[in-house]
Order: sequence, then structure tokens, then C-alpha cells
Amino acid sequence: MDRNQLVKWLQAPAKMAHKYSLHAVYFCTGCGIIEVPPTITARWDAERFGVIPTATPRHANLFLITGYVSLKTLRAIIRTYEQMPEPKFSVGFGSCPINGGMYYDSYNTIKHLDRYMPIDGYIAGCMPRPEAIFVAVTHLWTLIDKDMADGYKRYRRYYAQYRANQERVLGRLEWPPLFPAGGDA
Amino acid sequence: MRELELYFGPQHLGMVGNFSITLTVEGDRIVKAAANPGYLHRGFEKLMELRSWIQNFPMVCRMNVVEPDSMEMIYAMGVERLAGIEVPERAQFIRSIYLELARVGSHLFGLWAYANMLGFDTVSQWAMYHRDLILDLFEELTGGRVYHIYIWPGGVRRDFPEGFEDRLVTTLHSIGGHVPNYDAAFFHNPVFRQRAAGIGTVTREDALALGGTGQVLRATGMGYDIRKVDPYAAYGRVPWDVHTRQEGDAYSRIWVVRDEMIESVHMIFKLLDAMPKGDVYNRIPNPFKWHIPEGDAYVRCESSRGELGLYIVSDGGDKPYRAHVRTPSYPHGMTILEKVLVGEDIADVGNIMISLYVVAPEIDR
Amino acid sequence: MTHSLKARLDSVFKDIETEAGRDGRLTVIATAESVVPVLRFLKEAGHDYLQLVSCVDWIDRGEIEIVYVLSSYLRTGGEAEDDPAEIVLKTRLPRSAPSLPTSIHVFPAAEPYEREMHELYGVRFEGHPRLTPLFLEREYEIPPFRKDFDTRQYVKDLFGSVPPVGEKS
Repeated sequence: MDRNQLVKWLQAPAKMAHKYSLHAVYFCTGCGIIEVPPTITARWDAERFGVIPTATPRHANLFLITGYVSLKTLRAIIRTYEQMPEPKFSVGFGSCPINGGMYYDSYNTIKHLDRYMPIDGYIAGCMPRPEAIFVAVTHLWTLIDKDMADGYKRYRRYYAQYRANQERVLGRLEWPPLFPAGGDA
Repeated sequence: MRELELYFGPQHLGMVGNFSITLTVEGDRIVKAAANPGYLHRGFEKLMELRSWIQNFPMVCRMNVVEPDSMEMIYAMGVERLAGIEVPERAQFIRSIYLELARVGSHLFGLWAYANMLGFDTVSQWAMYHRDLILDLFEELTGGRVYHIYIWPGGVRRDFPEGFEDRLVTTLHSIGGHVPNYDAAFFHNPVFRQRAAGIGTVTREDALALGGTGQVLRATGMGYDIRKVDPYAAYGRVPWDVHTRQEGDAYSRIWVVRDEMIESVHMIFKLLDAMPKGDVYNRIPNPFKWHIPEGDAYVRCESSRGELGLYIVSDGGDKPYRAHVRTPSYPHGMTILEKVLVGEDIADVGNIMISLYVVAPEIDR
Repeated sequence: MTHSLKARLDSVFKDIETEAGRDGRLTVIATAESVVPVLRFLKEAGHDYLQLVSCVDWIDRGEIEIVYVLSSYLRTGGEAEDDPAEIVLKTRLPRSAPSLPTSIHVFPAAEPYEREMHELYGVRFEGHPRLTPLFLEREYEIPPFRKDFDTRQYVKDLFGSVPPVGEKS
């Protein structure tokens, strides 16, 4: 470990620990499921970046939304995201969470994922290569270093708007608001 | 004992793909199961009606993410049947080699999922690594690792690059050289036998009545394979065998998968030997102004999961009027899964689902 | 001499039309009432594999067409009249109230297909035990696969009206 890293470890040990052990929730949400197994197995080993899959969202701090999100999946994704403990980071994978992608005119997929839950970054591609995922992880590290990966803080701050958007598209939600006071804004 | 309704939901370590099953359990035994698809529904067939014939080619491969090549093949077959386009000899052979390579890749993916589910992590890492070697070959041939868009109406997009055949043969030999390791670690392992024998048995009557095809039917002793029944591409030109087993449980289905993988590799070598020289595609009309005559057609092929069919209707226009894809995971993942899960343990749900070789995007489209 | 399948169908059922086409296909056009008897006849004649139940919306003619594609697991290979590679059975229903008896007692494999056609096209299958939602998460005014459901307009109305999240300016 070089001296640069040592200083960072001593100054902000929690942040460094979060960065280098991004445990991802095992949830195959869409097309992108096809490039996640190569990433987490021996050839493109994601564990050297600290990324391993976990079984339950309660133990995870990274949420990879791989591919398009349908309406039923959006319900499941929001509940999963809300179960994760803070600090948590979410990354949109592929071109579908950005603007609808290839299914821009489908009645069952949502077009802009960041209007329903906060996204810290996107990986472009259809499907992105495993190397693109690793580059994204290193970018996420930089964002965490600079305190710019604040998706969970935005969720807390603008919760009323997020919840209103979710209700507008999904109708009645079966779970109570996560932040009962409605956030700050 | 009280009955409990349990959601084997989409976010679950035992679920490969975004699919959910509602289980009614009594203790550890399942009393009733109801499949709950729809998490991946995009209205694919409606979207196909809004895009022209040629624009649908990049779309159609995304229906089955694990083996997109058979989707391209079935759509090309449907369009060629409706428009009356002939495919040259060399292109038929290239298509067969391409599809068999995709089949090996898809079976290795299934082996990753299944071995991972049972806990044989070493074997699953090997399988995914060997599949990656095949994806390297695909990348050299077509430019993309997963979505290739290589099959074109009238042939294939381009011929094999210089030296591709040698690299193909070398890679397949190196993968084939590991088969004894796979056998020792997984297929001949008594733990695998204990975990899978007698689990998820599909009887032949059930498979025939509920529309089962592919490994589900071949594991019950019936050698039904579309490549033999209704030969397409170059499958009628080389000799090859259909592999079957008798018991119909998860153990036999995975053994059929292993035998088919080895058969596919041998088939590729035979096809490479028999391949003639020539053109690789016949020209189609201007794709921007391509109107296909009126009519309807049902074409089918054998994907790595079973019978894949397409019912395509044209009204003389430049877009398909109706395209309905009959995917093999539709009966396997709904009616057969619901029937087979009754009486099994909760711990075996993932085991049975992956051994039935269900891919969730195929069900929902 | 045994009569060919086409001839037997024509003699038993009076209100159907049959046509033996190229590529080994036999097309049968039936009325709504004769669909289940024809399916039963074909199953007993050896065509026991229901591959697909599909639906085509002919909006210009005001009809919805239900299509059954049958085959046989043990086909030996013969002429389309007698031993077709596939049998395509079609029936036309009025678009305003499409309804048909269910065929799951003849072919249990048809159960999810009929459920899907009910959900996406609004076709009622009388006698089906489980016509509950399958893929869709909500009710749509017009069943989504019908030709008069404009999916692009729907997307613009629903998803286009969701505002981005952020500081309100």
C-alpha cells in the first residue's frame, strides 16, 4: 500500500472501507444479467475490486440495476433499495435506465430510472463489457472519495418528490413511506 | 400443520433471472405453486409490429439473453419463408456452426447456474471461464460478445475471418480437454447424484401433455429433436446422435445437457470438414423499401432449451403484422414447473427451476 | 385404402374448410363452435402436440383470429394431405365480443396461452379456470396488443408526465 492510501485510511477509515468492499445485491433485473456472471467469476474477477454478490439487501451497499425496468420490477426494486442500509450506492447498467433504450416505446418499461430512485452513475452499453463495469467501479470510488456519490442523501432530501413519482406511475403503493416526515423538500 | 404462502420472489439467490413463484407450503413441503411471470414483460411482439422487417433483427436477439442466436435464426427463417428467399449452401453451414457454438455457450451458462445453485463453485467457475473463451470467438466473428446480429435474411453477414477456423478448433479442443475434470468434479460426483436424482421428476405423459420439449422430453426417453424431425440449415448433412436418458429427473436432464454439449462440439468439427466454398448471402431487396408478400408461416428450430417457434403474419406491408414467438421456457416455466414442484422441498425449488432450464425473459417477452 | 386426414376431416365436419399447402402444412378454417371438436378429432388422429395458441387482430375487418398450431410427436413424414408437418387451425371471432370455449380439456398445454390471449387481447375463453392477470401489472382500457392501443401515445402520456426530481426552481 503506498503512502497516499495510508493517509486516506487514517483520515477517513469508514469511507475507505465502504469503497473497497462494495457488496452488490444479487438481483438480476433485466437483460444485463448476462454480463454479470462473467464479471463475478474467475476470468474477469470482480472480487479483486471488492465487489461480491450478497443474498439479501440488508447486507449490501451496491445496487446494480442491470438493464430495463418493467413496472412490476420497479416495485421490487424500490422495496429492495429501501431495505438496504445507508450509505448505499446504485448504478444503472446499460442504456435502458438512462432513457428507455431499445424499448423506448414499450408500455410496460419505465424510461428514466432516476425519477423514481436515485442513481449515482450509469454504465453505457447494450450490454456493457465486464471491463466497463470495472471502470465504473473505479469511477464510483472517485465519487465516494469526493463525497459526490450521495444518491442516498438525495433520496432522503427529496423523498416527497420520489414518492410522488412512484405513486404516479405505479398507483397505490403497498408499503408505507420510508421517511414519514416526507424528507426536507 | 399450517399452510403458509411464501413468495419465492425475484430477489433471491436461487433465482437466475427475474421471475417469481408463489408457493403455498406446509412446513418444508410445497403444496401448491403458482408461477408469477411478468417482471420482464416488454410487449416485445407489439414493438416488433412498429419496426420494419430489417429493424427487427437487432431487437429480436434480446428476447433470450443467454442464447440470442437462435432467436435471430428463427426470425430469419420466418422472414425467408414468407418472402421466398433462398440461402446459399455455405451460409447454411456457417449458420449451423454458429448455432452449435451458441448452444455450447448456453449450456455452459446453464452449468454455471446449476453448479452454483448446488454449491459446486469450482465447476461453475470453470464453466463460465470456458464460456468466455467461446464469447471471444464470437467477438472475433461478429464484433459483439453477447448480442451478435450475425444472421441476415438470405445468409449471414460476413464470412469467417482469416484463420478463424483454426482458432475455433483450438479453443474447442482446449475446452474438450477439460471434460474429464468436469466429470470427476461434478458429473460423477456422488453428492450431485444425491442432490439431483429423483428430484423434479417429469414423467413422459406430463411432458407430452403439457408441451415439454428439449431436455425435459429427452430426459424421459423420447428422442425428439427438431434438428432431426424437421431439419433446417445444415443439420441434415452430417451424421449426429440425439442423446436421451430414462428417468426424467434433474439428474438425467443435466446429463442430457452434458452429452449434448459434447455432441455439439463433434458436430462443429464435422460441419467444418464438410463446409463448401461459396457465397455467404443472397442479396435482399432494398431494406428501406422491403414489402413482404401477404401470408403467414410457422417456423421452428431447436434452441438449447427446446423447441423455439415463430408464427409470423404479413399483410403485404413493410412491417410484420403479427409475430408471436413460441419459446420453450413458456410451458416449462409455467405449467410443468407448477406441476413438478408439488410435493418437493423448498430447498429444491432453485434446483428444479434451473434443471428445467427456464430462462425468464423468454416467458415474458 | 384409408382416407387421408384431410378427406376424413371434410367428411366428419361440415362447417370447416381445409387446404393442403406446400411445406407440408394443412390449414383448417373452422367456426367458433367447431374448434374444440376438431381439436379433439385431430388429437385422436395422432396430432397430440399443441405448439402454439396465437391471436391476430384484423382491425380492418373487425375480427380477431385465434390460431392453433398443432403437430405430432411421432410424425413419420408424408404428404400434407395425410401426414402434415403442421396443422394450422384458425377461427374468426367478432372483435367487439370475442369469446370461445376453452380447449384445455383436450390439450392441457393450452392453459397459459389462453390466459395470455385473454390478458393481451381481451378474448374470453369459456370454462377456463384461471383467467387472472399473467404478465401485466394493471388493467388497461384497451387490451395492449390490440391494434387500436397506441403504445407510443400511452408512453408519452404516462411516463412523459413524470417530472425529474431535484430542487424546485
